[in-house]
Amino acid sequence: MYRIRFHGRGGQGIKTASRILGTALFLEGFEVQDAPRYGAERRGAPIFAYVRADDAPIHERGVIHRPDLVVVADDTLLTITPAQVLEGIASASVVLIYSVRSESWWRQQFPQIGQMVVLRPDRGTGVGLPAGIFCAGAAAALLGTVSREALVKAVEEELAAHDSALVESNRQAVLAAYEAVSVSHGMVHSGVPQPVAKTAAPAWIDVSRDAVDIAAPVIHAGTTSRLVKTGLWRTRRPVIDKEKCRRCLQCCAWCPEGGILVGEDGFPMIDYEHCKGCLVCVAQCPFKAIRAIPEAQAKEERDAQASDRQ
Amino acid sequence: MSEQDVARTGKKRRQSPLGAGTPMCAGCGGLQALHQIYDLVGDKTVFVNAAGCMTLLSIYPFTPFPGSWLYTAMACAPAGAQGVRDALDVLLSKGRIRPEQDQLPVVLTGDGSAYGMGLSATSAAIDRGLDFLYICYDNEGYGNTGHQYSAATPTGARTATSRVDGYSGVKKDLFTIWSAHRPAYVATAIGTEPADLARKVKKALSLRGPRLLLVLAPCPTGWGFEPARMVEIGKLAVRTGIWPLKEYSDGAVQHTMVPSKRVAVEDYLHLQGRFRHLFVPVRNDDKLAALQLQVDDYWSHID
Repeated sequence: MYRIRFHGRGGQGIKTASRILGTALFLEGFEVQDAPRYGAERRGAPIFAYVRADDAPIHERGVIHRPDLVVVADDTLLTITPAQVLEGIASASVVLIYSVRSESWWRQQFPQIGQMVVLRPDRGTGVGLPAGIFCAGAAAALLGTVSREALVKAVEEELAAHDSALVESNRQAVLAAYEAVSVSHGMVHSGVPQPVAKTAAPAWIDVSRDAVDIAAPVIHAGTTSRLVKTGLWRTRRPVIDKEKCRRCLQCCAWCPEGGILVGEDGFPMIDYEHCKGCLVCVAQCPFKAIRAIPEAQAKEERDAQASDRQ
Repeated sequence: MSEQDVARTGKKRRQSPLGAGTPMCAGCGGLQALHQIYDLVGDKTVFVNAAGCMTLLSIYPFTPFPGSWLYTAMACAPAGAQGVRDALDVLLSKGRIRPEQDQLPVVLTGDGSAYGMGLSATSAAIDRGLDFLYICYDNEGYGNTGHQYSAATPTGARTATSRVDGYSGVKKDLFTIWSAHRPAYVATAIGTEPADLARKVKKALSLRGPRLLLVLAPCPTGWGFEPARMVEIGKLAVRTGIWPLKEYSDGAVQHTMVPSKRVAVEDYLHLQGRFRHLFVPVRNDDKLAALQLQVDDYWSHID
């Protein structure tokens, strides 16, 4: 059975990519399951989707813990622990990374990855299309059991509600990605069956049955949501330039998250643990005192500062 | 920013009462308004939340609310508020809570519930004169399930269930439906006009009986725009006259912000993916003119 796990961010077309791959496999005669994981399916938030395909009826359900193929549509997720991108990979698992960086660079970063394919964003075909469609095409090629015809038909079926120009650009994109990894055609091998009897016991704790007033999900503390770090959703971060800021504090009112606080000095302070990176503050600042920088750059600057201090 | 960071800089921060860390989309216009509303209504409230995007505010064990919150099915949030009010009244009459510990039931629903599924329960609650505040975040569709059209979807907007030529119906006039019940207070508002919103929240809080705050919630996900443009789009909704800011009390309707010179409706439409089909591949002049006429017609009846 093929077990394929997609990782990306909300807005990258991950659910659609998994559906296209699932439909293409179905058209090739496989039994197929495909489903996104429900949760914070929000723009920028880590998104998961799963595809299983087999010659026989599939009795497995739910989250894929031991994938044969992991598809990473946003490479910044690899360093975010809760995104669980590399969870359960074995030496036979293939990791497909959609990234501008080279394979050798990624191999240095993650030596534990056994088999890796890096798909570079295409500068010619499908510019502006979300990563998902390219990932679907490359994943199909890596499986080696999906023909170009089935892949194209799956794109047309899944995007049937959209206008023909959009379908055409996606058709070109999916084929370009399929060709781009053609040297690795058929690299992914169907994983062994994982019968329930051999599955490790889940890591949960059995709780005895309590009276309903104890057992019902009642939250007794307020504002516990602050423990949820929605800052992980961000791909770009707003940075306030105190030289330009006039402390008008309009940004505090516009922030949908209530994520801009006021310091004792009267300057706004961004709560990066929760800022989702919508950048409303950047767009609205009347003094252009807030700029947006990529998270990767922010991390580099932080690392540089840390090494300066040492 | 952790407590330690704050301690290190020696700065105090003024945290908003409603907690961060919610699963609402980045750039959510509804959440932006709710923060401002919650600052004023405070935690002596019981929020009664019908199914919708904002149900996800409180996912066990996390909640952004410092005060109480109760989840109901989509059609019955006002009935839930009635139950909360009755329970509080029982506690008051038995002396188990003091009058100063009383709380205000606040219904929080999206437009799917407010304009459609929950309208019957709402109407009945107003009939009974239930003392509650109803907050509707109106993002003009069933946003939490992929943005299917609702009774609040405007004419021509593409949704998951009106994909080709857009919604063929007309946005239901919930303000007038509520006003026809002669409740204590009805107001339209938007988070991108904070002064107007704050004044209306305060006015609603000064009254008793059924009260509605109908808040337009620009929705990057459902409407198809970059989250950074949320405030710009909210302001345009008012400046084009598409979202009239008004209030009803004592039997009379007053417009609280009349745009002196209305911006062309298409300036608002062309920024949103849901109206893109009106501009590409060919500009649909007839439909654009019809949408402009809808707005002009509305304002021609306003003094």
